[in-house]
Amino acid sequence: MGSREGPCWGWGCCAPGPVLLLSLLWAAPSALLGEETRQVSLEVVSDWGGPPENLLHIRAVGTNSTLHYVWGTVGPPAVLLVATDTPHSVLSVNWSLLLSSEPYGGLTVLPKDSIQFSSALVFTRLFEFDGTNASDTAAQPPGRPYPPYSLAEFSWSNVSGSVDPATLSATFQGHPTGDPTGAFANGSLAFRVQAFPRSGRPAQPPRLLHTADTCQLEVALSGASPRGNRSLFGLEVATLGPGPACPSLQGQHSIDDEYAPAVFQLDQLLWGSLPSGFVQWRPVAFSQKQGGRESALPCRASPPYPTLAYLLSQSPIVRAFFGSQNNFCAFNLTFGTPTGPGYWDQHYLSWSALLGVGAPPVDALSPLVLGIMVVALGAPALLLLAGGLFLLLGPKGYSEYQRIN
Amino acid sequence: MEEEDDETRALLANGRTETSRDAPAIPRALPALCDPSRLAHRLLVLLLMCFLGFGSYFCYDNPAALQTQVKQDMHVNTTKFMLLYAWYSWPNVVLCFLGGFLIDRVFGIRWGTIIFSCFVCIGQVVFALGGIVNAFWLMEFGRFVFGIGGESLAVAQNTYAVSWFKGKELNLVFGLQLSMARIGSTVNMNLMGWLYSKVEASLGSAGHTTLGITLMIGGITCILSLICALALAYLDQRAERILHKEQGKTGEVIKLTDVKDFSLPLWLIFFICVFYYVAVFPFIGLGKVFFTEKFGFSSQEASAINSVVYVISAPMSPIFGLLVDKTGKNVIWVLCAVVTTLASHILLAFTLWNPWIAMCLLGISYSLLACALWPMVAFVVPEHQLGTAYGFMQSIQNLGLAVISIIAGMILDTKGYLFLEVFFIACVSLSLLAVVLLYFVNRARGGNLNYSARQREEIKLSHAE
Repeated sequence: MGSREGPCWGWGCCAPGPVLLLSLLWAAPSALLGEETRQVSLEVVSDWGGPPENLLHIRAVGTNSTLHYVWGTVGPPAVLLVATDTPHSVLSVNWSLLLSSEPYGGLTVLPKDSIQFSSALVFTRLFEFDGTNASDTAAQPPGRPYPPYSLAEFSWSNVSGSVDPATLSATFQGHPTGDPTGAFANGSLAFRVQAFPRSGRPAQPPRLLHTADTCQLEVALSGASPRGNRSLFGLEVATLGPGPACPSLQGQHSIDDEYAPAVFQLDQLLWGSLPSGFVQWRPVAFSQKQGGRESALPCRASPPYPTLAYLLSQSPIVRAFFGSQNNFCAFNLTFGTPTGPGYWDQHYLSWSALLGVGAPPVDALSPLVLGIMVVALGAPALLLLAGGLFLLLGPKGYSEYQRIN
Repeated sequence: MEEEDDETRALLANGRTETSRDAPAIPRALPALCDPSRLAHRLLVLLLMCFLGFGSYFCYDNPAALQTQVKQDMHVNTTKFMLLYAWYSWPNVVLCFLGGFLIDRVFGIRWGTIIFSCFVCIGQVVFALGGIVNAFWLMEFGRFVFGIGGESLAVAQNTYAVSWFKGKELNLVFGLQLSMARIGSTVNMNLMGWLYSKVEASLGSAGHTTLGITLMIGGITCILSLICALALAYLDQRAERILHKEQGKTGEVIKLTDVKDFSLPLWLIFFICVFYYVAVFPFIGLGKVFFTEKFGFSSQEASAINSVVYVISAPMSPIFGLLVDKTGKNVIWVLCAVVTTLASHILLAFTLWNPWIAMCLLGISYSLLACALWPMVAFVVPEHQLGTAYGFMQSIQNLGLAVISIIAGMILDTKGYLFLEVFFIACVSLSLLAVVLLYFVNRARGGNLNYSARQREEIKLSHAE
């Protein structure tokens, strides 16, 4: 079962500061697959014979390894993450198998023995809760639930039009196929994915530190009419990893909120021991596009729980790679509280996460902070030293002056 | 010598009572509570004096106590939120020079107190109205009006204290007034959040109306203070009639041209003062969310820890006052206080240790600094310039608070609490730099700032000879 590090306040149980500082300063990625830079290519894999289906293959090639991210909206939005220990591994797609009722074998990464790690995420449902009368902000669910939207029953725009080779990003935009209430008449749910050739940090909050081993996902709900005045939204995510155990959810407390003001936590989902795959996010979502602090809303994640495949929307992409006999786990994300900013402000909600392999990126104190601290502590110490020396070496003049007096 | 003089001049000295025996229209046997020459009556006056300041101290930190609510209900970011504090400070940049003058020459203590209390009341009401009609600029204007009254009221309060208790229990009275101020701040921090939730429950929803009504209820404390001001004016006048007591004066003489005569140590003291206080008050103004977000405190816990600086300073101020009086060595005490504050900010910024440790340290060092720093001014300034020096010190302190409040809000919005704490550490470090410099300058010039109490005593004796 997943475990979530509980908050601990009081004497002695919290991580000691200096250790934390050291670990923050010493943050070089040391994963088996860790590479400084990668050659990243985005390719929309098309089925020439059949109807257009969205399948985006992101291939990140390093000197000794290749990462494959296969994003697709064949079924609910899903991503396959496959890490191999050769720079020459390739993805092979068999469309007729993939779109059949038994899709196993439709997606393969070759050579098969080069695969070091593989996992998948499936975004199965979009929840909506009525938060009007919810008094307990920490309650799960945060209000009376409305019938959820099944993301398998969404239709998605063609991803090829949104591929941007310059930023290495692409967007899947969708709305419910049948929308009797017209809630999504002017609205959409978008999954924007972006890969990176090297490490860095985007300007857009929550400013997660990314490396060449990661890929960023931004989920944005915009323009859809909520069913209540104070609707809260949530997302159901199914996971599949290499083993039968559920990935563990860790909430890491941090002292550093420089990149995400007033957010002192970093949540991450880890499959087994390192190095393996991870999903990392700050527990914050935004109700405005600019993502300022006034639009920040908390994001809560439930610990992953084991679930059965037939309870979830089936993802052909996942079944095509892993087969049908699988131990899925699922967890829920909920965004916002009944009080505070929310989707109702501007009918906008966005949340970002990183998906990757190896050791999750760790924030270090910025050079500006370290610089100021060095000067702030060094200057008085230097003055004390200089003044002390002056008094030690030059007391004669002072005492003579006194004597004359 | 001087003290004895005070004793004889003391307006309510026992000797006077004898002479006032034949004062017109006063029956001989007044009950103790109504007889201005009796202790019981003075205690009544003391009670009124303490509650005179309660309202303004209670309402000063209303924004800090309701930080999240103000930001949510008025849809403002932290930068704009901190303007509520800045607008309080702006008028006081000027009024610190004028307060004493207005009380002495224009209004007189009684009318002065009433007028300043009215400003405080009106300011708070306008502040609350701004919430009710959902106009943030009106809230800012309210804080500006409130600021006009707030600081000058404190001067008036001190003047009353001197007028009634000089040569008697004056230090105790000052101590009690200060404690009462801290109690006002503490009660505010811990009460307003609860009050807001009650108003929210009865109105059925949160929003700017809830905020406005909560602030309006908070304004009752200002009405209470105004009533105290009226009662004090009446009692003071009555005492004047019965005891032929003069109206109290601040005795402050402000000559701005004196500024050019200020010595380097005095400027260093100003510098220490500004950069120390800007790292304390704006931090408390922004602290509540820091404790909920970084340390996972509940709203009530965060309020409690955010007010602990005031809670500690209430009992510790008199104790540290005594300590500094008995030992002297003011510069060393200031150094200790600044270093401790620096340590406390470092703990808050770079560790996840229980913040009660850091906040208690901050509370202790804040109390110690106040007791050691402010009296130093009297050592480096001739007595006739004392009023100007203190006025100037308060003025630039308010200027610093206004500017740094705005900067702190901006930093928080863009760079977060860690960077804000680093900024405060830098401020305290500047203050520390000035203390170290003050120590050396004082030593090099053979100044009297760091004398022990015994040295001061000897100098006093040698002067007397």
